[in-house]
Amino acid sequence: MIFWVQQKRWLLIALAVGAILYFFVPHPQSLSLEAYHILIIMLMTLIMILKEPIPLPAIALQVIFWQVIIGGSTPNEVGGYFMSDAVFFMMGSLMLAVAIVSQGLDKRLALFLVSLTGNRTWRIVAGFTLTAALLSSVIGPHLVTAILLPVALTLIRFSPDRGKGLVALSAALLFAIAYGANVGSIGTPSGGPRNVIMMNYWQEFAFTSLSYLGWIRRVYPMVLLEIPFSVWIILKTFPPEQQHMDSAVRHLLVEVRRDGKISPAQGLTLVLLALMLLGWVFFGEQLGMGTIALIGVFLFMVTGLVQWKEISAGVNWGVVLLFASTISIGVQMKNTGAAIWLAEGSVSILGSLLPNLDWVRAILSVGLSVGMANLISPSATVAVAGPIVLNLGGDPILLGLASVIASAFGYFTAVAAPACTIIYSSGLVKAPDFLKAGWKMALMSILSLTVIALFWWPLFS
Amino acid sequence: MKKKPTKIETKALKFLTAVSSVEYSKPTLKMGSLIASVFDASLGVVYVGEKASEFHGSSVNLTRHNLDNWNIIHPGLEVLEWALKELKKLNPENRDLAKIQFNPDHVYEEDGRVLVILPNEDGSRVELILREGELVNELRKEIQLEGYDLAIIGGSQNKRHLAHSLIQYLPSSIFVLQKFNPRVKYKLLLLVDDSSATSKSVKWGALIAEKLGWPVRTLTVSKTKRFGEGYMGAAATAKKYFDDKGIEVEQFFLTGDPVRTFVEFAADNHFVIMGASTLNPVKQLLFGSKPIKTLEQTDVPILIVR
Repeated sequence: MIFWVQQKRWLLIALAVGAILYFFVPHPQSLSLEAYHILIIMLMTLIMILKEPIPLPAIALQVIFWQVIIGGSTPNEVGGYFMSDAVFFMMGSLMLAVAIVSQGLDKRLALFLVSLTGNRTWRIVAGFTLTAALLSSVIGPHLVTAILLPVALTLIRFSPDRGKGLVALSAALLFAIAYGANVGSIGTPSGGPRNVIMMNYWQEFAFTSLSYLGWIRRVYPMVLLEIPFSVWIILKTFPPEQQHMDSAVRHLLVEVRRDGKISPAQGLTLVLLALMLLGWVFFGEQLGMGTIALIGVFLFMVTGLVQWKEISAGVNWGVVLLFASTISIGVQMKNTGAAIWLAEGSVSILGSLLPNLDWVRAILSVGLSVGMANLISPSATVAVAGPIVLNLGGDPILLGLASVIASAFGYFTAVAAPACTIIYSSGLVKAPDFLKAGWKMALMSILSLTVIALFWWPLFS
Repeated sequence: MKKKPTKIETKALKFLTAVSSVEYSKPTLKMGSLIASVFDASLGVVYVGEKASEFHGSSVNLTRHNLDNWNIIHPGLEVLEWALKELKKLNPENRDLAKIQFNPDHVYEEDGRVLVILPNEDGSRVELILREGELVNELRKEIQLEGYDLAIIGGSQNKRHLAHSLIQYLPSSIFVLQKFNPRVKYKLLLLVDDSSATSKSVKWGALIAEKLGWPVRTLTVSKTKRFGEGYMGAAATAKKYFDDKGIEVEQFFLTGDPVRTFVEFAADNHFVIMGASTLNPVKQLLFGSKPIKTLEQTDVPILIVR
């Protein structure tokens, strides 16, 4: 019993906080009772997401029933909030990742990458960062990291001095992938589910929209600006023990050339990916990013490139459920007025300290997203913080973009982003390494965002 | 009526050693192997790795799946492979152990853990287990699943929290190997009082002393100047047990705060053996217990017998 209490203490704390707020703390006069209850549900859910005392699907389930019991929604309304294009996109991108990884395209990519970079270590680190950023901007950071990690680990494994540790070399290669993927994930709407959530929020809450190419025009310069600085930060923070990786590169080439020429399945995969990219660019706004991702999955299954069994086993459906539940909280925050109440409250508090309202909005938008993204996931951050940010009162497109971009600044912890979690799971980088490089990356990213917001975005207004 | 003495069925004993890395786990594995051979126990070696946040679990699993295609194994399996090699070095006379080969492809998932299949393992009496999650929680599950009698664990930087959790929640005896120095000639220090766990700890201590030839000391601490009948009786029984086994024993009776006295007496050259607390779990949680406080305050290896 005591063990159970110890294991579930954060669940009990979350429930106790919720009960105290529900039964003993009167709701503010300026906030409706329903909105107050949604904020209670949000607070309990955030505590549970942060500490994971129960499985994530269970957290999602409690969001459903609390919304019906105390949130003032009918079961059908809650069901409606759960499905959206962003959820389709999340499902689609997780399924596509399984389908693409099983094709063995990573070896082709390794060959291409090494032929571009050669044997010098700094060029290999730069090559990983650039490749991770460019690919992740289109197909998402989790897939890119899953593809590139084996390439990096193979290089580390075949390095002649591996027995001596090669701690810095390992860290440099792995952070090049993770931070490169993080930096790139903001580049296009298909770079991550959080981008699609914001596109949905713009349409639903702000009655405006941004096309795939419109997003690229506004944000991609920032990706390109950040890439060289990221390489510099990574190499300065983790100066590799070896300046050349001749032997490792030779071993890698032997390993990848074993597979021979590109197979028909790999060719077909590339064609389908290209078609999906075209679909996102030209039909993303009309059909929805998620719908196009699902068409892609459908084609992968129809052509026999992947079996449903593989997809079903490879996708954590509980995460999809939780993702949907955080969006449902976001929608309810908007509908009940909780989002605008939080936004106005935050602006009035910070507005008393800073005279320039635009700066207040920018600081709130970026600060909220960076803070939350380093504790929970970027997607959950945008799902919950998005409605608040869009109610701050400025240009919803710019504030939304700033929030989404800042949610990618999850450099400080291993849990902040899928790419960080993946490289951490290799066992070759430690938690303090994230802090060591992360603060520099965050500072550089915030400065880059400021430069882009001040000098680039005004050209579009 | 005279109580029938409890006999330790050494053949049936199962010990579990937790390893974390090639860098830090060598002393733990060495001691685990030694203690298992003393008791003729089978030895499970478990690696408990950090579990990725469930939020990114899909991505991590996908990456692991892809790493398999490149023949890159889980870091935990690398540690277990190293552990098997070390055990072979430590037990050169164990021919069954020498025969078994590690193959990272020969693993299977069962009950939330990954077991390495070791061909011809029957005679070797070694098991390699991979788990992911919070250390104490995973050790508890493993001990409950396989019925281990003793868990052997290295020290930790987060000592206070770990001491509490290990003693409070692990259902087996616990051996915490803090700052163990193989070069130090340790003396066995048995903490003797009137608790029911003392008799078992005396028996375990005698077995270790017999096999390793370490000198034995018993320490009985009373808060007052008067030593009660229970304490004196327990000390006398312990002395008799050692005498019967032909093991020389030095006995010490000191007054003062028990935990402080244990810690000061143990200094840095004793291997402490003490019985687990019989306090109820709620009291232990709120106020601690002698084993918890001793483990928190000392750096020497400590075996808590349950």
